[in-house]
Amino acid sequence: MKKKKGRFALKLGAAICLTLFASNSISHACTIKVGAVLPTSVDWGRPIAETAQFVVDQVNESGGVSGCNIEMILRDTQVDPKVGVDAAKALVDLDGVQLLLGAVSSGVSMPILTSVSVPSNVMQMSCCSSSTAFTKLAEEGKTEGLWYRTFATTGVQAAVGAKVAKDRGFKTVAILYKNDDWGQDLNRLIARDFTALGIKVTSAVAINDGQPSYKAEVTNALSGNPDALYLGLYPNEGTAAVREWLSLGGTQNMIMANSLKSEDFRENVGLQYLGSAFGTDTASPRVASADAFVELYKSHFGKEPSGPGLANSYDAAMIALLAMEAAGKGATGDQIAAQVSRVTDSGGTPITADATGFKAARAILAGGGNVMYQGATGNVRFDKNGDVSAPAVVWKFIDGGTKEIEYLSLTEVDEFIASLN
Amino acid sequence: MIGILSYIVFFTTVASILAIAVLGLNLQWGNTGLFNGGVVAFFGAGAYGTLLLGGTPQPDHIAGFELFYPIALIGGMAVAGILAWLVGILTLKMRHDYLAISTFGVAVAFENLMRNAEWLGGGAKGLRGFERPFRESLGDGFLYNLIFLIVVLLCLLGTYRFLETLVSSPFGRQLRAIREDEKAARSLGKSPARIRLTAFVTGSVIMGLAGGLYGTFYAFVSPQDVLPTLTFQIWAMLIVGGAGNNKGAVLGAFLIWAAWTFSGWALSRFAPVEAQLYTGSIQYVLIGLVIVTMLLWRPQGLLPERLVVSQSGLS
Repeated sequence: MKKKKGRFALKLGAAICLTLFASNSISHACTIKVGAVLPTSVDWGRPIAETAQFVVDQVNESGGVSGCNIEMILRDTQVDPKVGVDAAKALVDLDGVQLLLGAVSSGVSMPILTSVSVPSNVMQMSCCSSSTAFTKLAEEGKTEGLWYRTFATTGVQAAVGAKVAKDRGFKTVAILYKNDDWGQDLNRLIARDFTALGIKVTSAVAINDGQPSYKAEVTNALSGNPDALYLGLYPNEGTAAVREWLSLGGTQNMIMANSLKSEDFRENVGLQYLGSAFGTDTASPRVASADAFVELYKSHFGKEPSGPGLANSYDAAMIALLAMEAAGKGATGDQIAAQVSRVTDSGGTPITADATGFKAARAILAGGGNVMYQGATGNVRFDKNGDVSAPAVVWKFIDGGTKEIEYLSLTEVDEFIASLN
Repeated sequence: MIGILSYIVFFTTVASILAIAVLGLNLQWGNTGLFNGGVVAFFGAGAYGTLLLGGTPQPDHIAGFELFYPIALIGGMAVAGILAWLVGILTLKMRHDYLAISTFGVAVAFENLMRNAEWLGGGAKGLRGFERPFRESLGDGFLYNLIFLIVVLLCLLGTYRFLETLVSSPFGRQLRAIREDEKAARSLGKSPARIRLTAFVTGSVIMGLAGGLYGTFYAFVSPQDVLPTLTFQIWAMLIVGGAGNNKGAVLGAFLIWAAWTFSGWALSRFAPVEAQLYTGSIQYVLIGLVIVTMLLWRPQGLLPERLVVSQSGLS
């Protein structure tokens, strides 16, 4: 604890010194403010904000947006909806921002969207909110096209899980899911996908955290005598539930969500029981731009981009600023939001996700052309609800790690999801 | 200019809503001495109740009774009141820290119920589908917020007048009598159990009103809104403002909420870019400092309770 504080003080001191000595190397005639509402008081939230600031620095280095310097005003949400909404409101009303980056938690992003962004006609781009409630809100037309997020919804994970069941020829499946917003969403989506593929869900049982035994839940799941078991669980509860499942004579045919991709789970259940257990995961795209992001990140921060949401935060900030450039000087939130399709156009000129790419994009956009942004999470493309898809992998446990069985590119994932609906 | 005005309207609305909740707690703690550690449960009951009763039908959970807004709001207060009554008859036998712990437990249970009971309040992803009343005619912008602020201020004023009348009435004297010496009150033929329960339910209904207005303002509520932090915030407001004094309760709400939001704003504006990442943590330290300083410098609060002899004429 003490050590941590010391490091913090050191960083802060260094930061203050840096500001005092660093002169503004590039001076622009004007400044455009953008708002960022992120949980910087939480340890994993800080790198997300750092990544967004890194994007802003690169854009400024390339000449800014509409010839102006971008200033990102960062506010902490404390993961408290009241505080987050107040911060967003202050950014919009007092600083006049037309673009908000954030928030992370869906429970904070949602009230910001409904009570600040939409009423004030400000574009909101989140890196990390996963709730399906946003998709519903967009379908009802209540986001007014102002909402985007670069985080793939649980839909991808669910669809690929259903694909595994179909490929293995399972006819009946029981589901165990974690009882939180992620698990509840996952359960609903995968049950729908199974049904769409003609696979019967014999039972879907919620697993609460920290119970000493899951015998009742597992017995319930066993009762339909399913061909396979779907596990939307975290390692601790997953281990306990699977042990009970196997000891009660349940099948070893299992499909696991990415949350179970863990050493602990493999060790504690035992590899000999996991021979026919297949996992799913969303994957980093196998494209040069994703590797380029990793290299760029490493050269700037001196470490791997390993925290949650970093690639997403990078793309969120970059796409939003590209759209701002495309919309021109003095654009309002809805005008910026309307330009997102122009900078993520799959028929447009490909551009890289760095200062050079931004410079190239500026010229093309000024000439009336469209660009295809190739970012840290691949060629990001939003659907009409502001959601993105992602590539996926199927994996299984082997001695000492996991092995990839199958890779589904973004196009394949999109096509498969489309075939379900 | 309009931006500053718009933000002030927004800030005042949230602060006034919180002030109503602080007034509710003041009746319980300041006047009656009931340590309610689960403020957020009653606040949340009001918010969820109002949004469930006044919202539009949703496919995945109950709700959507589309009641006329004032009825929905009163319904939300009633939900808070019923919850308080149930909790009250079970826990009010307990004193001080025991009551605090059990009410805290109720609040945690409430949050977990809302997180898990998807059929009831939409589960962890929150309760959607509520339309702010009169939105069609007033739009979504500044005018709406201004009118909503007036409504909230009227509610705050109404609550304040009601509590001022209540505490200066014979009933108010009973509350203080129980707070100071329960045995003495009983020896005079008063029924402490009944009076404590009445005060607890009344205070909780007021918190429910605050919750209902809060839910209406955001047109959304999720389990993240009913985390224990809110209980802590409301307690901090009451203690800084002055327990036992309704003016103090309102002042405390405005001051603490201003400190909470202004510190974030000021840091984002004046801290250097490279230190921006740490302003969230610095803000926590600042808020903590303000509260600790207050407790050391003025433990009775900015506006302490004024003890008066309320029937001096009879002596």
